[in-house]
Amino acid sequence: MKVVTGVVGNDIHVVANRLMELSLHARGYEVFNLGVNTYLEEFFDAAVETGAEILLISSLNGEAEGWGREVKQLKAKYKYLDNLVMMIGGNLTVGSGHAEDIIPKYKNYGFDLVCHQVDLNTGLDLLETFIADRKITESNQS
Amino acid sequence: MSQDEKLLIDVGSTYFKVSTDENIEQHFRDFGKDILDDLVHKCGKTIDRFEKNDVHICSSANGGLSALIIGITHSYSLKYATNIAFNSGINIIDTILYQNIEDYSLPSDLVDVVVIVGGIDTKTDIFGANLYNYLEKLNYSNVVFSGSASDAANLQEHVDDVVILPNIIDSRLHIIEDHLKEYLTNLYQQDIEGKEDIKNLYDITANQIFPTPYIVNRALPLIDASFSVVNPFILLDVGGATTDIHYSKDLVDDNIVTENEYDRLVFKKLGVYKSRQSLIFAAQNNEFVYELLTHLKVTENIFFEQTEKATKVLMQLAIFLVLCKISNYSKAYISLKLLAVNSIVLTGGITKVLTTEEIEDIIAFFYKKILASEHRPVTILDSNYDIWTIGAKEKQLCL
Ligand code: B12
Repeated sequence: MKVVTGVVGNDIHVVANRLMELSLHARGYEVFNLGVNTYLEEFFDAAVETGAEILLISSLNGEAEGWGREVKQLKAKYKYLDNLVMMIGGNLTVGSGHAEDIIPKYKNYGFDLVCHQVDLNTGLDLLETFIADRKITESNQS
Repeated sequence: MSQDEKLLIDVGSTYFKVSTDENIEQHFRDFGKDILDDLVHKCGKTIDRFEKNDVHICSSANGGLSALIIGITHSYSLKYATNIAFNSGINIIDTILYQNIEDYSLPSDLVDVVVIVGGIDTKTDIFGANLYNYLEKLNYSNVVFSGSASDAANLQEHVDDVVILPNIIDSRLHIIEDHLKEYLTNLYQQDIEGKEDIKNLYDITANQIFPTPYIVNRALPLIDASFSVVNPFILLDVGGATTDIHYSKDLVDDNIVTENEYDRLVFKKLGVYKSRQSLIFAAQNNEFVYELLTHLKVTENIFFEQTEKATKVLMQLAIFLVLCKISNYSKAYISLKLLAVNSIVLTGGITKVLTTEEIEDIIAFFYKKILASEHRPVTILDSNYDIWTIGAKEKQLCL
């Protein structure tokens, strides 16, 4: 499967991004890494150009909160991204916060999977389960 | 005359310049005359002194080519193709975002070349009936596909005479310029050669006639050797029909990685003679222009005057509008980091009309009003057309 990944906004924390690319490769994904400093529109545009099924956004410096609010509105402008799996992880708030407050907020922004301060491998396991479940639902529907 | 002296001629939409080692002349074109007749009439003596082999001509008088680019995203296919087209000398560029193609109206003029781009090579089924229906109604001369290899066969089947080139986007979403650039540059060349007026110029030269922007671009890496230019810089070529801007790549925050150090952008309707009306129109729609006119101590009536003063003011407005267009204030397809610009070089007809002080005044007004900054890049006037001479000489050294 094709995955577009990168770090959103003006965020330059690059270490997790490199690890993300390696882990995704190791798990057999075709990875398009946009790197740090990537704007929302570039993420969606990259999904269109590559035909990626998954968008995996990182945010470490606390910026995600601001960008998150724009996701729904921007994504609505794209005609062919309805099936894109949307995932976000890293430090999803400024300062400390509780996952139980943060997760519903980001789900409401349009993300299917939200990993606040969850390590990469746990997060990618969740992704795989999500995709497997979705396939089952889809085949039941058809 | 020294042994290897060359005659350099630049034919623009409004004037032509003729340069020898000792001297450079500039003349307004007489539109009632064929270009060659006009040239011979005004500079026949000079031209006669040179062998055909020693005459080098460049021209932007063919008006340039128009391109319509159809791509699937703003950040990649459309941006990459637009960048390649500008750097190939194409002057007029319109873009269509494919997913919304049905909402675009058809251009009324003939489009010289339609460029279709989008997707990495493994992305399939990008283009379909919506594209073919649009192309059926569109009036165009050439069509080229430089998108996903998986879609090429499909296009070949549905679009007559489509030229298929390798993808401009590689498997890592980076740009590959070469193939499309070569195709478009050749098209430009054929266009120049096809124009009757320009064809006649081959009576006085045995060398290939090049597009002017191509020559200017060649000179850019050498500019700091001849002028006291501090990098990064922008170069404004304010002409009769268009305003061209060339800029150092350091001035854009961009993910496009290309081999060129410099890029080019064209504002097709910002010239002071041939596109005077649209320049005035653009000015009237800019909220700061009235303040600028007051600052220049003139009123709006100046637009309707045919005086030297009016030409001056229009040129000053052209500078202001171009700076606005490339700033964050009103985004063109690219916005430059204008606070990082160290020098602004001006070339073209403008250098014969405005003084350094008059230009600096506008630049200061722009930085203050639009960017709220005291930053003042150094202004340099290329009054002797050195840039063009360097570019033309550079070209001839490489031949
Ligand atoms: C190194 C570092 C820097 C370096 C970055 C160098 C570089 N180019 O990478 C420098 C010094 C430049 C820096 C700058 C800043 N930093 Co800093 N930085 C750190 C630090 C110490 C380590 C980050 C790191 O590399 N960790 C190692 C990687 C592997 O771990 P990670 O990033 O946490 O990622 C893991 C998980 O989050 C997860 N993950 C990440 N993305 C995703 C995505 C998904 C989908 C999933 C499932 C999982 C996942 O996987 C990774 C491995 O498990 C952290 C503190 C810390 N100990 O975490 C602060 C920290 C991230 N920085 C912080 C801040 C505030 C800043 C600055 C704003 C400081 C400032 N005031 O200037 C600037 C911002 C610069 C910018 N424009 O982004 C804060 C962010 C706080 C917040 N979110 O509220 C932190 C948490 C420090 C703190 N406790 O205050 N920083």
